[in-house]
Order: sequence, then C-alpha cells, then structure tokens
Amino acid sequence: MIARRLARTALLVLAATAVVFAATEVLPGDAGTLRDPGRASPEQVAQARDELGLDQPVAVRYLRWLGGLLRGDLGRSLSSDRPVSDLLGQRLPATASLVAAALVVTVLLTAAGLLVAHLRRGRGGTLAAGLAAVPQAVYAAALGAVLSGMLGWLPAVSLLPPGGHPWQEPQVLVLPALTLALPSAAFACTLLRGALTDTLHRPHVVDAYRRGLSPSLVLRRHVLPFLLVPMIQVLVLTTGWLVAGTALVETVYGFPGLGGLLVSAVAVRDVPVVQGAALIPIATVLVGMLLADLAAATVHRTAGPATRRPVELTVGVP
Amino acid sequence: MYIPLRSRRARHGLLPLAITAALLLAGCGADNTTSGSTGGSGAPVDGGTLRYVVPGSPATASNDPHGGLGNESDLMRFALTYDVLTVPGADGSPQPRLAQSWEPNQTLNRWTFRLRDDAKFTDGRPVRSRDVLYSLTRIADKAAENYGRLADFDMAAATAPDDHTVVLATRSPMAEAPKALESISFVVPDGSADFSAPIPGSGPFRVTETDAQTAVLTRNDSWWGERPHLDRIEIRAVADPQARAAAVTSGQADVAGSVSPAAVKTVEAGGRAQVVRRQGVTEYPIIMRLDTAPFDDPKVREAFKLAADRQALVDTVFLGYGQIANDLPTPYDPSYPKGLTQRTRDLDRARDLLTQAGHAEGLKLTLHTTTSYPGMDTAATLYANQLADIGVRVEVKVEPADTYWTNIYAKKDFYVGYYGGISFPDLVRVGLLAASPTNETAWRNATFDAEFNAAMGILDPAQRNARLAAIQQDLWRDGGYVVWGVGDGLDLTGTGVHDLPNGPGFQRMFIERAWKAK
Repeated sequence: MIARRLARTALLVLAATAVVFAATEVLPGDAGTLRDPGRASPEQVAQARDELGLDQPVAVRYLRWLGGLLRGDLGRSLSSDRPVSDLLGQRLPATASLVAAALVVTVLLTAAGLLVAHLRRGRGGTLAAGLAAVPQAVYAAALGAVLSGMLGWLPAVSLLPPGGHPWQEPQVLVLPALTLALPSAAFACTLLRGALTDTLHRPHVVDAYRRGLSPSLVLRRHVLPFLLVPMIQVLVLTTGWLVAGTALVETVYGFPGLGGLLVSAVAVRDVPVVQGAALIPIATVLVGMLLADLAAATVHRTAGPATRRPVELTVGVP
Repeated sequence: MYIPLRSRRARHGLLPLAITAALLLAGCGADNTTSGSTGGSGAPVDGGTLRYVVPGSPATASNDPHGGLGNESDLMRFALTYDVLTVPGADGSPQPRLAQSWEPNQTLNRWTFRLRDDAKFTDGRPVRSRDVLYSLTRIADKAAENYGRLADFDMAAATAPDDHTVVLATRSPMAEAPKALESISFVVPDGSADFSAPIPGSGPFRVTETDAQTAVLTRNDSWWGERPHLDRIEIRAVADPQARAAAVTSGQADVAGSVSPAAVKTVEAGGRAQVVRRQGVTEYPIIMRLDTAPFDDPKVREAFKLAADRQALVDTVFLGYGQIANDLPTPYDPSYPKGLTQRTRDLDRARDLLTQAGHAEGLKLTLHTTTSYPGMDTAATLYANQLADIGVRVEVKVEPADTYWTNIYAKKDFYVGYYGGISFPDLVRVGLLAASPTNETAWRNATFDAEFNAAMGILDPAQRNARLAAIQQDLWRDGGYVVWGVGDGLDLTGTGVHDLPNGPGFQRMFIERAWKAK
C-alpha cells in the first residue's frame, strides 16, 4: 500500500521534471542565443551552443540530466559553471524561512476565518473568495505602500545581511510573508468553508446545537474531527503554493531565495538551474500530498468511515 | 473612442533585466569618461562600510572575470578585486593602472606595455608578465562567451621579454590598443583554471565572503595604489530597479546603481537621497535599413528624421533626464563632429520630401520594439504618433524581450535599437562596416570603410578624431539612424556618500576612492 504510493510519488516527480524540461525547451531561444543582445556573430553563438552541449538532441540532454540526478548530481549552471547544488544550497535557507513564516500566518488567518464561519453557521464567505481572487502582485504593491511607504514600519525591500539568515533581521520577512499568506489564507478558507458547511448540516451537529451545547464544545467534539482530513490536505496544498509562489515576492522585495533564482534562470534559459530550482517546489507538493494521503488513511482507520469525506478541492491558484 | 489593442506588455517581473550584458557595449571602451565624481565635502573620512546595490541576476552570477560579464554586480566585484592594465581617464584617454606606460612600434601593430613591479596577488605572489599574458589569452580564447572582446589582438604572437614587460600584437594597425584593454583586462594568476570560487587578485579590495546576494570586500592593504578610505564594500545584486531604489530611500543601502527615471522623480520630490546623473548612457535609436524600401530613398530617411519631436521624446521616455541628440549614435565620443547643424522638427519639409519620393499618399509601416529597457515601448509609440503628422501610419509591435535581440535586432527594417555608451570606433566595428556582424542599418560604403581604417592607423588622437569626425558628417547626412536623444544613467546615493565616479561605461565600477561621512 505505502510502497505503491511511494512509487507513484516518485513517478510523478519524474514526470514533473520532464514537463519542466520540456517547458524550458519550448521557450524561444536557449542559453547560447540569449547571452548577449544581438552582439554575437552566428559563429560565436554556434560555438557557445557547442561548448554548452546545446547542440545535442533534447532527449539526450534530459536523460543526461536525469542520470546525474539519480547519482545525486544536479549538474552545473550553463551561465556561470557553478554547481547547481551550491546555488540551491545558498538560497534554500532563506526561502525555507520565508515559507515557514508565511505558513504560520496562513494557518492563523485560516483558523480565524473558519472560526468566524463556524460562529455564523457557515453563512457568508464572499469576502474570502474575493480576497483569494486578488493577484499576489496587488498585495505586494498595497502592503508595501501602506506598511513601508506610509507608515514606515517595515523595510521596503528585504535584503539580507551578508552571509545572513532572515532570523537575524526578522522584520525583513514580514512584508514578503504577508504578501504570500493573505491570498493563500483566503483561498484555504474558501476551500475549507465548503467542508465546514457540509459538516454543520450533518444530523449529529444540528442535533447537538438543538440540545443547547455551546458552539465551542460542538466545534471540538462534533465538527473538527470531520475536518481533520481536509485540513491536512489543504495545509499540504497551501505549503506547495507558498513554495511555488515565492518567485514574485522574492523578485519584488529583492529577497535572495529560490524563487528569484528560478525567475532569473528561466530568463537566461539556464536549464540545469531551472530544473534544480523547480524540483524543490515540485517535490514539496508531491511529497506533501503523499503525507496527506497517508495521514488521511490513518485517520480513516482510527476514526471510522464517517469521517472519510474527501474535501472537494477545486484546482486553482491563489 | 476605439483604441486598437496592441500586443500586451511583457511582464517586467519575469525578465529581471536579463540584459545587463549590454553593459558590455557601455564598457567596451566608452569614450569621454568624465572622471568627475559626486561632490566631496571637506576632507575624506577613513573607515566604514559602503553598501552598494547593483543590477544583478542570481542565475548568471559568476566568478570568472574573463567571460560574458553579464552581471553588473560581478563586474563591480572584479573591478575592485583585480588589476586591469588601463582605466578610462577624465579626458577620455586611457590612464595607467597595472601598466605604467606603453608605446607602439612604427606600424602600430605591436604595443609594448611596461607593468608596475610592486603589484602582488592577495596570496603573496608578485604580478608578472606571464600572469598578464595568461589572462589576456584566456579572454581571447573565450571569444564565444565574451563576443570577441579581444578579437583585434593576436595573442598567439604576444611575448613577454621580461617579468614586467609584455608585447601585444594586433591583427591590424591599431592606434587605440591601450583603450581596448581598458577596464576589462582583469589579471589573474598564471594557470588559474577553476573559477567556481573567487580567484586571488591584486586589486584595491579582496573578497572575504560571497553568498546568494552579497559579496563582502575588505580593503587590500598590500595594494600598490593610494590607500582606499573605505574598510569594507558590500555589493548586493538586486534585479528589480524599483527594489534597488527602495533600498536606498529606506536606508538599507548607501548607493543604488541604475534606477529608473520614475524612481528618481519620486526621490527628488521626497529628498531622502541624492541623484547621480551620468550623461550619455542610454539611447533608443530608431533603425531604418538602407537596403529596404522605403528607406532606400535618402529623401524618406531625411523626412523621418525631420518628423521627430526630440524634446518631447526625451521628456516622455527619459522623464527629462537626458539630452536631445542629432542622429549620430555617439554624441559623447571625442570624435563627435563639432558645429554640426541640429536637426529640428520641420513637418512641411518632411511632407515635401515624402511627396518628392513618391509617397504623397502617405506610407504604412510596422515599427518593432520591446520592453528590454524601460521606455523602449514608449519611444516607439510616441515616435509613431509624431510620424502620423507627416502622413505616415505606423503600427507599433511590442515584441517579447527575450527574443528581440535574436529575431528582430539587425534583422527587421524598422525597429527601436539600444546603445549603452558605446564608443564611435566600436560602433563602426559592430555595425557600420560592410563586413560588420550586425550591420543593422545596412550602411555599406566603401569610402567610409577606407577612411575609418585610415583613421584608426593614426596615433595622434587629435588627428585621428578629426578624420573620424569627417565620416560622421556623412553618417549624419545619409545614415539610417534617427537618434532623437540620449538618456542619463541614474544612480541614487544616501546622504554622506562622496567621490563616486560618474563617467559612463565601466569607469563607474572603479569606486575605490569613494568615502562615507560618519
């Protein structure tokens, strides 16, 4: 059972790397032709592509990269010849801190939102849907303008001290984390509100309210157990979105993490770096889904079939 | 009112300045570097850390000073940690750095450079001629990466008569050889092969730490030159120009390189930072190909030049941070012809010329542009409106930035180009000789080529520049460039930063004389 799930996850990761490789391939130009705007003669471009191994067929290049990956070697950057693992290693801690901070904020906001929804017996919720529909860039601009520009409470850009870690200057995490968390929390609320409303309409919950039990007791005893599986699933999905969503905030706030690396690597078609930087969010999401599956199975075994109501997750991006 | 929808703007955020590489142009011997600097006040103060935020993209960050130099943040680190043979001087002529003096042979194809004998790498080894030859040969060998930066030199024929003399051979007579070595001839120890980590240098600073975003440099007290005032320089790579400006206004950095005119406007209103303007840095010329109708008719080219409202373009595209230009791409070059008549807007004459050329009914054309550099799209749109006044209907096509330089540049017959402070001789080599790799205006003129080659064989700068000025007159009269203006390079500094260089091109990377008030 678990072995089959593990194998499925591994296959999905593999498929995703192929998709990323193909997507980079489909983009016009490659690392040889994009190096310098219009200055290179055709001979120089040809020589550069030859040196970078870009004249090989795409399948050969992908399999070569995959072979390296299986040996634990992520390859070297086409633009700087530095090992991709070094580039990722330098930036992973910054992104991990950012995602952790954003996740904490997301969880708190989602919990608050669901509490309100519960107290209102599941009515309303248009606000969350509205907030979830606002693009990340708008949050970045608005939060930056208010918290940094008008109030001056926070630095406008999130530069890290040299060799630095965000926890030395936690204030640099606030703006990017909020920018990531607000739409994610709103989206998580809209996803879970459906499950909450379903649960609130179940006979045993309606009955509990009729018996005059306090809302907090009803929530603890009769509602939350039914929400456990969807919550875990949404938490995992949200983590994946947050990791994948760092590209924009890191660029806007000048924060040196993996998202910014991915953006600039795509711009110069540095395929090994793109693959390495994309592998991390892909693996996060897929491994997270595996864990959510396993958790759901565990809950199902211990709590009985009544709770096995997978939440209807509409696919979308906050 | 119906407004035709043009192709959507490319998302700036997704292309974090993929093209700082164009700096190369700026650097390949940008002439006329004014070695002026940001105003000092009183005596310089020793000590302190200067935090400098530079355009840079993490994916292309490199430790190799002989490659493409695509990242300004890398370039600044190299300029501060390695010695170069020559640097740009105040009057535009190359000044000694690692090379103390130089002299050519009679035919100007062998140049003897005498090196200082007191330069040392940070690992204690002396800098010798073999290190210089190794470094220059490596630059020449990496032509595919650095676009033939030393293509005019025949490194196989270079020799080192002793430890502190090198004799460099050029493929043809080359009066400007010392200039071609300016700012980019970074010298590393002989035999250095692994550039995945920083290599020892002999410059005014040494690298003590590099991470994903920042390079920390500390003063190299064994440098041969005048002792720098600063103890440390932190160079941070930030791709987004808006974020760079914000870093200075919010006090997280002391200097921000290359910010947008819009950011400067905001700052000037707020007074939280000082603006450094570097003249003659950015231009977006309109390119017309002489071998394609309707531009094969000189009357049409003249009409298109007369249609431009230059001041309006400078005010809109550069928000006024720039000067109008006169259809020659290098107005800042010492060879720029003096006393040239400034073309001004003359709609009657322009319409007249179009009628004479057989276009009384007007013309329909497509003007290509992109969003690689801020304002390229605005320039095209505004110029198209100005052409409408002489009966030319122009559709502006905004092309994706990442393929513009391979699919449009030097291939289409009517588009917006870019130059970033290139010198006139370099411009001629890349784009105006019959054999140039990117002869974008299809300017093929045997007399021009012969005159240029003759001029480049003249050692005396005044005589050489006079010859070059004469061929620029032809280009002004007949060429395929509408150069309507040149924008300033704009940097921001916090209060108390002094003596930053403010010349165009690579000169501004050599910031070892800067200091910070306490």
